[in-house]
Amino acid sequence: MTAGSPSRMIEFRNASIGATVAVLRDARPAPLADELHKMLGGMADFFNGEPAILDFSGLSAEPDRIDWSGLISMFRRFRLQPIGVRNLSAELVAAARQAGLAQLDGAELAAPTASPTRTAPARVDAPPPPPPAPVAVQAGTMFVDRPVRSGQQVYAKGGDLVLLAGMSNGAEVIADGSIHCYGPLRGRALAGAQGNTAARIITSNFGPEIVSIAGIYKTFEQGIAQNVAGRPAVVRLSGAGREQKLDIEALQLD
Amino acid sequence: MTRVVVVTSGKGGVGKTTTSAAFASGLALRGYKTAVIDFDVGLRNLDLIMGCERRVVYDFVNVINGEAKLNQALIKDKNCENLFVLPASQTRDKDALTEEGVEIVIKELEHMGFDYVVCDSPAGIERGAVLALTFADEAIVTTNPEVSSVRDSDRILGILQSKSRRAAEGREPVKEHLLITRYSPKRVDEGEMLSYKDVQELLRVQLIGVIPESESVLHASNQGTPAIHLKGTDVSEAYSDVVARFLGEDRPLRFVDYEKPGLIKRLFGGK
Repeated sequence: MTAGSPSRMIEFRNASIGATVAVLRDARPAPLADELHKMLGGMADFFNGEPAILDFSGLSAEPDRIDWSGLISMFRRFRLQPIGVRNLSAELVAAARQAGLAQLDGAELAAPTASPTRTAPARVDAPPPPPPAPVAVQAGTMFVDRPVRSGQQVYAKGGDLVLLAGMSNGAEVIADGSIHCYGPLRGRALAGAQGNTAARIITSNFGPEIVSIAGIYKTFEQGIAQNVAGRPAVVRLSGAGREQKLDIEALQLD
Repeated sequence: MTRVVVVTSGKGGVGKTTTSAAFASGLALRGYKTAVIDFDVGLRNLDLIMGCERRVVYDFVNVINGEAKLNQALIKDKNCENLFVLPASQTRDKDALTEEGVEIVIKELEHMGFDYVVCDSPAGIERGAVLALTFADEAIVTTNPEVSSVRDSDRILGILQSKSRRAAEGREPVKEHLLITRYSPKRVDEGEMLSYKDVQELLRVQLIGVIPESESVLHASNQGTPAIHLKGTDVSEAYSDVVARFLGEDRPLRFVDYEKPGLIKRLFGGK
């Protein structure tokens, strides 16, 4: 209604969503349904209507045709909403489109999802660049120039997170790689969110509510050790299996 | 060019309305044409603090709904020539405010040649508070020196940097100023209160001033006179400093150090 900018019936905005990628080794609805039933057991509501991308890279041989409506309704029964397909030949993509699925082979999806297991081999230096996805190398570091405030959440998908103005209590930062915080680290800091056990949390002023690396977390109900509280520190994961624990060490920054 | 300044805090009762009234009056005293808008629809207070409650005929919601013209609703302040108050509605709730409506009002104030529009935000982080900061160019984040107020201010700073128009359009971010109110140097000295340095360290925002805890604020509210007009009081002086710093002047911090009363003062009693 504002003069100069007539209100439009439709407005386009950019958004990015997190979607689940389902890597299929079979394209027939019935066996997949059996498998899903087995995998999820009684938890019929394991998924919560989230969008799913069907990845056909795991098929040993591509079938001549795919029962798209059957496949879609099967996933919906398990509360997954297929929105697109990837790694599929052009003929089958055409049929998928008719069934209302988008082709999503774009670069933005080039996360290293092709490997069926989530645990990547831990290497200390560079994260191993998966061959089919060259962009994943650049997907690297995310920089945040302003303070991360209480109630805000930042997720560095697929790489490291660098906070240049610190973070406050009540804020949450997550990285698939390491977290580097110049300034106070005060809220919840979760590194190696996809299971990277080599990830670390480094800060010039240690004072978090919770830290976690690869799902192993530590709270500070009893306070933070004197030698690191408010000082430079590094958090890393040591040990293996059930012996895994977080080590917090003072860091010498001249 | 009109500058829109939001006075916000997250937490209630920290002194937003007192600050809005004093700050807007201070700008007007400096000769700037200033409007102060009460965004606290349903719990309006600004008109009381400004002492114009008996002159409210039309309000902000009437203007947004097209039931009154903006210049019918603007109330000219009794103390300052250049100051106008846009009161909130007492009988409506915050859903009566719309983003388009607020935008139209602010644009119109711009056309009317206002130098500053001061938005007195309601407490909380809901609709009213978000609309108050949506169009802000600068923000005065009002904080008491205690942890819950600091945490809420931190939250509102985050909202400011994500929900303001400036953030949405990717322009230069809203300029943040930290104002610490109800500051008692004595209690800081005794370790009962966070010091202004602690608060600033926690929030990492440029400090624009410290307003001492004072009974004169209560007197001012009851009289319907913005605190800045109480000549000779430390609160009035502190608010004048805030306005000066806001306008780019350099003023040293005052009223932040506790001086133990000396012997003579103890014997004869100080004021």
